[in-house]
Parts: sequence; structure tokens; C-alpha cells
Amino acid sequence: MIDLSIDITMRQGEFVLTVRDRASVEVLGVLGPSGSGKTSLLESIAGIRTPDEGEIRIGDRVLFSSAGNINLPARDRRIGYVPQDALLFPNMNVRANINFGRHAEGDFESLVKILDLQDLLERRVTNLSGGEKQRVAIARALMTRPSILLLDEPLAGVDRERRDVILPYILRIRKELHVPLIYVTHDEAELRSIADRVLRLGPSR
Amino acid sequence: MSAETWAIARFTVLMALLATTLVLPPAIAIGWLLARKTFPGKTLLETVVSLPLVLPPVATGLLLLWLFGRRSPVGQALDAIGIEVIFTWKAVVLSMMVISFPLVARSVRAGIEQVDRRYEHIASTLGAGSFRILRTITLPLASRGIAAGAVLGFSRALGEFGATIMVAGAIPGRTRTLAVGIYTLVETGREDAAWSLLLVSALLAFGAIYVSNRLVAEGRP
Amino acid sequence: MALAFITPVAAQPPGLVVSVATSVYDALDEIAGLYRATTGVTVALNAGGSNTLARQIVEGAKAGLFISADEIQMDAVEKAGRIVPGTRTRLLTNELAVVVPQSTRDFTLAHLFDGRIARLAMGEPGAVPAGVYGRKWLEREGAWRRVESKVIPFPTVRAVLSAVEAGRVDAGIVYRTDATTSAVRVIAIMTRKDHPYLDIAYPAAVIVGPSEKDARRFLEFLKGPAARAVFDRRGFGRPDER
Repeated sequence: MIDLSIDITMRQGEFVLTVRDRASVEVLGVLGPSGSGKTSLLESIAGIRTPDEGEIRIGDRVLFSSAGNINLPARDRRIGYVPQDALLFPNMNVRANINFGRHAEGDFESLVKILDLQDLLERRVTNLSGGEKQRVAIARALMTRPSILLLDEPLAGVDRERRDVILPYILRIRKELHVPLIYVTHDEAELRSIADRVLRLGPSR
Repeated sequence: MSAETWAIARFTVLMALLATTLVLPPAIAIGWLLARKTFPGKTLLETVVSLPLVLPPVATGLLLLWLFGRRSPVGQALDAIGIEVIFTWKAVVLSMMVISFPLVARSVRAGIEQVDRRYEHIASTLGAGSFRILRTITLPLASRGIAAGAVLGFSRALGEFGATIMVAGAIPGRTRTLAVGIYTLVETGREDAAWSLLLVSALLAFGAIYVSNRLVAEGRP
Repeated sequence: MALAFITPVAAQPPGLVVSVATSVYDALDEIAGLYRATTGVTVALNAGGSNTLARQIVEGAKAGLFISADEIQMDAVEKAGRIVPGTRTRLLTNELAVVVPQSTRDFTLAHLFDGRIARLAMGEPGAVPAGVYGRKWLEREGAWRRVESKVIPFPTVRAVLSAVEAGRVDAGIVYRTDATTSAVRVIAIMTRKDHPYLDIAYPAAVIVGPSEKDARRFLEFLKGPAARAVFDRRGFGRPDER
């Protein structure tokens, strides 16, 4: 369950993103066309981007508060982030990537099983397919036992036909690991089967 | 190749290797700082770092001579604890270090700037602190740029002359490097002897550039 | 192999370093060989331009003895308090010579004085001692104004000699001691007798520092008969000639 409270404003040139939401859900979907600031939102929650003003809270934990001068660094937020192109570390193999996290105390065997990574463990990451990279990135994030997992367009790098293959993995994570998810996409259909609630971002905001 | 030529070549290579090794840690630190951080006075730092690249080497030598001489606090402090710099091999290493530093630092900076910062961001979400990120992500991914910088610095150190002759002198067997040796031999009318030193210098330079180019080529997918 | 690499650095014998002007280096090298043969002591020679050598000593370089190509640099070192009092001495004298490429025929000093010359190589007339003396001589002969525009300045006497040897210039002004060892033809030598105002002297002095004793001993050797024979053979003049 996420008890996420967001009230932020971000300005970048002409672009202004304002998000105000409060959700207590297991899977929060974030829907919006490209350019609407979905990635910026995730980066703010993860702590790798700082909003211009506002507040981000998870439960009682204040991650960011411009009024209170609080900005918890990313490494202390325990938030897992799976970016749009996976961003696996090219100088390590799959196994090393998964085990990179500081508090890599997750159940390695079970994650590998859930995400079907047994045959990939010794591979270099540069030759993996889009879908394989996504699954490794998910495992890497989950190994640190995050309180939330952020997924940025997880199916974007995957072929149309294979999407139905990846989605079940994500559902399995939700079901077997009970990790709350924030799932960002431009495709409403993806959210239908997975999101408890949908936050819409758009130009009208 | 005569015994004397071999001795001078060996001395020069050893000094250049030592200089490059000693210059790498500060060059990596400064290169990283300039690549990744903004701070007040950054442009000033960039300028100071680039100075030995732009000043005539003899001017750099003059500065070093003053710095380690008896009229500067640094020179006096060293003298008080019995450390001699001017006219010794230490002066050779120091000149090589100062002259090659900007080249190495700039290469490191370029190498680090090419590393996608998003890798570093992801690493921080996974709980890694700054130093760990530097050690396990940034530097390994920038390693080819760093290595190329080190080889470039080594090549420059091998050929260094203007600053070296100022602060180390041209003492045979003690501070006479290949470059200084060639100059001194020519200046004292012994051009024939200079040719063998020149040949060795050319071979070493060729070798260094070859290695550097292989490093860059192996990086290409 | 690694150990063989390290030894040249580790086994640095402390010894006497003599900073010597480039034009006297060859002679000093030969004399240092004699000194080692008779006393077993090795003298390390640091050759360079007198101004560079003087600068190094002023900044504290531990040279034991300084032999300069002109008095001005020695004055600078003395003014900085680096000389052991009472040790400064005129070691050698030299003379200017006018040289031309070996293939040149029918060249006389008259050509020079009349300005009938396209290119004259000299040390930089404002800075290099040989150039300063060269200009003095031409001024005395009343020829400087006519010749000045033909002068090609060089940073060292060695460079002047190379230019003349290669035929890149019509004539050059060098030291007599350099002229005799090169592939050039000597047209004239400005002797001390005829040109007493050209007082080209090489002062030597012991430098304050740990090598004072060794330096004194070597300086005595330099003034002695064995060294004098070497200097004479190479064309240097004796200090008592004025």
C-alpha cells in the first residue's frame, strides 16, 4: 500500500508541471502523453530531480519540502526506480547489476525465478533484448527492498507482440512481492489490468 | 645503442612513469570536479589548471625554480627538513608532473563527461554513495578516456624539456633526460652523439602514441 | 629488471656540481676527466646559458662552482650573496672571430664594414654575451649603423655556427674558440692586443654551500698547469692578459 502525497511544481523554461495528489493504493497509474512530465514526476519522487516548490510525502516520511528545506537524497529514500531504457550498468554483467544495491538484501533466488532470469545471469548487459533489460532492471531495483517501485513506461522498449509476455511479470511482482507500484505510461490499455487508480497528466494542467 | 644512451633512456622512462603515476590521482580528482560539479570559482580553477598548457615551458620552469628555491617558503621548509629538489631527479619528476597535469586532467574530464549521468542517478536510487558511484560506475565507464589521458601525459613527460632544464639542470647521470641530453649535445657541438638519443626518443614516442591509438580503437564497438 | 631500473635513481652520489657556460663545456669536460684520473673525484658538469645558470644559483641550486661567460651574470650571483668571498677570479679570456662558410671566396672585413653583406649572423646583440661584444666591436669600427639591418640574431653561438656552416648566412661573429672546431673559415680574429675594449672574460667563483671545500680544490686545479694546457690548446686566453 502506498500512502503517497504529492504537491509539487516544476518549471523548466516554458514548461510547468503541477501535480497535486494523494493516493492510498497498491498500484498508482500515471497516464499522460509524451512531454507531459511523467518522467520528471518519477525523478522527483525518486530524488534525482528537485521540484521548484512543494512537498512529497510517503506516509509520515517527508521526502521533500521546499518550505521545510527538506530534500532527502536519492540514496536514502528506499525508492526503486526502473527508467524507460532500463539503464543497466554496461561495465557489469546481469548478476552484478542485480546485486549492485546497497541494501541488496532481497531474495535473489526468488526474484530470479519470478522474472525468469536464470539463463541471463552471466550475460553482458549490452546484448540483451529490450524486454530482458527491463526485467533485469526490475530485479535490480527490487533487490534493495524498496518501499515503492517506480516503473517508467516499462513496455515502451518492447515489441508489440511481446508486451503480453512482460505484463504478467509485473503482475506477479504485485501479487507475490506486494510491492506498491507507480506505473507510468501513455497507453491507457496497459493500466486497465493493473492500476487501482489513475492520475492523469495533461496539457490542461 | 651505447651504454650511456641506454642509461639516459632508462632514466627518462622511469621518471616519466613515476610522474604519470603521481599525477593521475589529483588529475582524476580535478577532472571529476570539473566534469560533475558547479561551484563558485570553477572558471578560475579551470584557468589555473590550464596554465602549464599555455605558458611557455621555460616560464613554468622559472616558477618552479622560484617555488622550490631558497627564497620561497616552500623551498625553505623543504631545506629545513633536508629535502633537496633543485638539480635532483625530484625536479625532473616535478617538471614532468606540472607540464603533463593539464593534459591528463582534461582527458579525464572529457572521459567523465561522456559517461551518461543517468547511470549515476540510478546508482544513487539503489543506495550507493558518491564515492562508491565514482569507484564502481563513473571511473570504470570513463576508463578508456582516463587511460588515453595517462598515455598522453606520459608522452608529454617523455619529451619535456623547457621546464626540466630550468629546475633540474642538465647534469649527466643525474638529471639528464633524453630531451635535455639532445639539446645539450647539440649546444656543445656534439650533434652526432645527439642522433642516437633522438632515435630512442622517436621510438619511445612512436610506441606511446601507438598504444594510445590502440586504446581508443579498442573502445570502438 | 625492475631493480635495474631503480638503481640509477637510488644510487645518486652526492658530488661536486659545476655550472659551466656552454662555450667552455668541452674544455671543462676534458679537464674533469684529468681531475678524475689524478684524484679519483668525479665532477658533474651542468652546461647551459650563463643567464639560466645564474638564475638557478640565485634560487638556491646547489652548484659548487660557477663558470660564467660574462661578468654581468657573475655580478648577479655575487649581488645575491651566493659567492664565497674572495674566490671570484678571472679564469679565462676569449676573443671574437669573424667566420664565413668554407666555400666562400674573396670575403674581407671591408665587405663587413661597408655593409656589402646580405646576412650577418650574431648572438642576440641585446642579450647574448657574444652578441653584445660583437655589437661593441662594430660600433667601435663605426660600422654598426650600416650593418645593423643585415644582422640575423641567434639565441646561442652554436646556432650562429650552424647557420654559417650551412651557408644560410654570409658571415658570422663567434668566439675564436668555437671557430677553430667548426667547419667554417676564419676571416679575422679580434685580438685583445688590438681590441682591448673587448674584454671577454670568463669569471669563476665558488658558490656558498656544502660543496665549498671540493669546489675550492677543483678551482685550484683549474688554475693549475694541467688545466691551463687544455685551455691553451683550445684557444682560450690566459687571465693575466689584459
